[in-house]
Amino acid sequence: MATRGGTHFVISASLTDSGAPTYLALDGGWTPDLQCAAAVATEAERDALLERALREERTVCDPYFFDVRVEGGTIDPLSARERIRAAGPTTRIRRPD
Amino acid sequence: MYASRGEPRRRTPILKYPSLSNTQSCLMYQYDAYDQKIVEERARQFRGQVSRRLSGETTENEFKPLRLQNGLYMQLHAYMLRIAVPYGLMNSRQLRKLGHIARTYDRGYGHLTTRQNVQFNWPTLESIPKILDELAEVQMHAVQTSGNCIRNTTSDPFAGVAPDELEDPRPYCEIIRQWSTFHPEFAYLPRKFKIAVTGTPSHDRAAIRYHDIGVRIVKNAAGEHGFEIWAGGGLGRTPVIGKPIRAFIEYEHLLSYLEAILRVYNLHGRRDNKYKARIKILVNEMTPAKFTAAVEAEWLHLKDSALELTRAEIERIAKDFAPPAYETLEPVDLVGAELGKDRDYARWLKQNVQPHKVPGYKAVVLTFKEKENPPGDVSDTQFDAVADLADAFSFGHAVVTHTQNLVLRDVKVSDLPALYRRLVELDMATANYSLLTDIICCPGLDYCALANARAIPVALELNKRFDDMDYLHDIGPCSVKISGCINACGHHHIANIGILGINKQGEEAYQLTLGGHDSDSASIGRILGPAFDEAGVVDAVATVIEVYLAARSSEDETFLECYRRLGEKPFKEAVYAGD
Repeated sequence: MATRGGTHFVISASLTDSGAPTYLALDGGWTPDLQCAAAVATEAERDALLERALREERTVCDPYFFDVRVEGGTIDPLSARERIRAAGPTTRIRRPD
Repeated sequence: MYASRGEPRRRTPILKYPSLSNTQSCLMYQYDAYDQKIVEERARQFRGQVSRRLSGETTENEFKPLRLQNGLYMQLHAYMLRIAVPYGLMNSRQLRKLGHIARTYDRGYGHLTTRQNVQFNWPTLESIPKILDELAEVQMHAVQTSGNCIRNTTSDPFAGVAPDELEDPRPYCEIIRQWSTFHPEFAYLPRKFKIAVTGTPSHDRAAIRYHDIGVRIVKNAAGEHGFEIWAGGGLGRTPVIGKPIRAFIEYEHLLSYLEAILRVYNLHGRRDNKYKARIKILVNEMTPAKFTAAVEAEWLHLKDSALELTRAEIERIAKDFAPPAYETLEPVDLVGAELGKDRDYARWLKQNVQPHKVPGYKAVVLTFKEKENPPGDVSDTQFDAVADLADAFSFGHAVVTHTQNLVLRDVKVSDLPALYRRLVELDMATANYSLLTDIICCPGLDYCALANARAIPVALELNKRFDDMDYLHDIGPCSVKISGCINACGHHHIANIGILGINKQGEEAYQLTLGGHDSDSASIGRILGPAFDEAGVVDAVATVIEVYLAARSSEDETFLECYRRLGEKPFKEAVYAGD
């Protein structure tokens, strides 16, 4: 069970080609959208997903998991770090490609 | 660069790329064929390493040490490439190249760092070899901007033009750079290692007391120039003011003495705990006296080796830093102009125009602390504009400061009005150098994978809160520095008002420290009390300033002087009055 008010876990990593945040999706692929990530409730499911992610080191770097709260179909990270990582910098970017 | 271990090598004065224009010659070190080959081969090597990573031949664990040796980090949203700018000095070709890289490979901007470097926040992995190729074209690279090696040697941004300078420190910085680049013995130190050099004994503008090694050019009783050596300073989670370990070392022994310090550190520094691996911990654990004794003993083995610097070698390097073709001009007093009718221009003259050792010239600080943009961010067009300004007004050169600004070093006083008008058009004329809104700020949680809290939004809020220029100038000199975590990249410990971002159960919070100082009367700021949220810490800074303005003994008493006279009590009582 996730800790500190979390209900689920999400697996994330950085894409090798761009370094962009990416999330392991239900279909086993990677998605840039946190809301499309696979959110699993148990540690066994989490560990299985992480093991799968670790095998994809050509595509992604340094997979890890973090706690989220899932309510009404929305995935909310528990930490400011993961919220910002999912949404991008909160300050002006000169040219948001 | 030297071939290895400080041994001078045969010089071959062949440049693959065209020489710089007349206005740019003889003002900074020029690569020779060896230097050029090194950076080109390094870029070629990294192209292969990147290719193998992208194809899956190598893993991230295998690739990581290789990318770090080329200044390539993985940050929160993308890769980050840090480019070395030795002692912050760049010519206009290099500035334009950075603008081109920002435009072509990044998102239209770069970032000035506190080690006088430049970094880009959004390059793709595939683009890095192309960027390194382009950098090599203008004698730049990203070597040793990361990893546990000797990093970019920093210096006084006014080096070479400061009137209070004993000797230009840049030739010695360059000698240290050449000695430390690819030094095989120091490629895997216990932790990163930072050296700063100042040529001004009376006013440290390079924060030498907060470096692993600080070097200060001094004069002995016989009137000879040499170096005072400090060691064991640093920030991070354990801020320490360095200790003077040698009052005077002759110029010929500079490299052998530095090598002795590095050897003692490399041998005895801790490798079991990264948080206790910096030299400051070793100096403290050994005691400064025993550390110094160990260095002196090691130095006896090194002092008469090939590391000895000859006057001829120093002069060979120094000739690249020869003064530009200054005109013979009369000294000009700006006091009258500072009191002129155009208040904005008068403020700019007073605050951003700094003394110069040559009559009729001034150094001009361009502060990159605009209201809407992160401190130290420079757009592609601004890089180009600064290059144009450098060519038009300052012999084609500019310097990155450790406070995340740029300096035009050599501006004729008669050119100041024209330069100012151009800076106003470019929105680069904010008269806030060394004032409260000239904030040092790390990238924080908006970019950095290590950060606990955002730093940039706090800086921008402070900029808005203190945007009344009358009020800002009434406050006077006051340094504010913000770090998004205890690694202290924003130097918060040595700010008059420091802000540290912390993680409180997953949420951002901010501690306030007061009383830090980065120069001669160095001090480390003290935590004022419990942490605040983002809005709360901006309010707290405003309250601290109100207390200062009410309590200062005169308009001449600075914030730091007032704090040192009164202590933290009145500030603490006011900030936490409602609690």
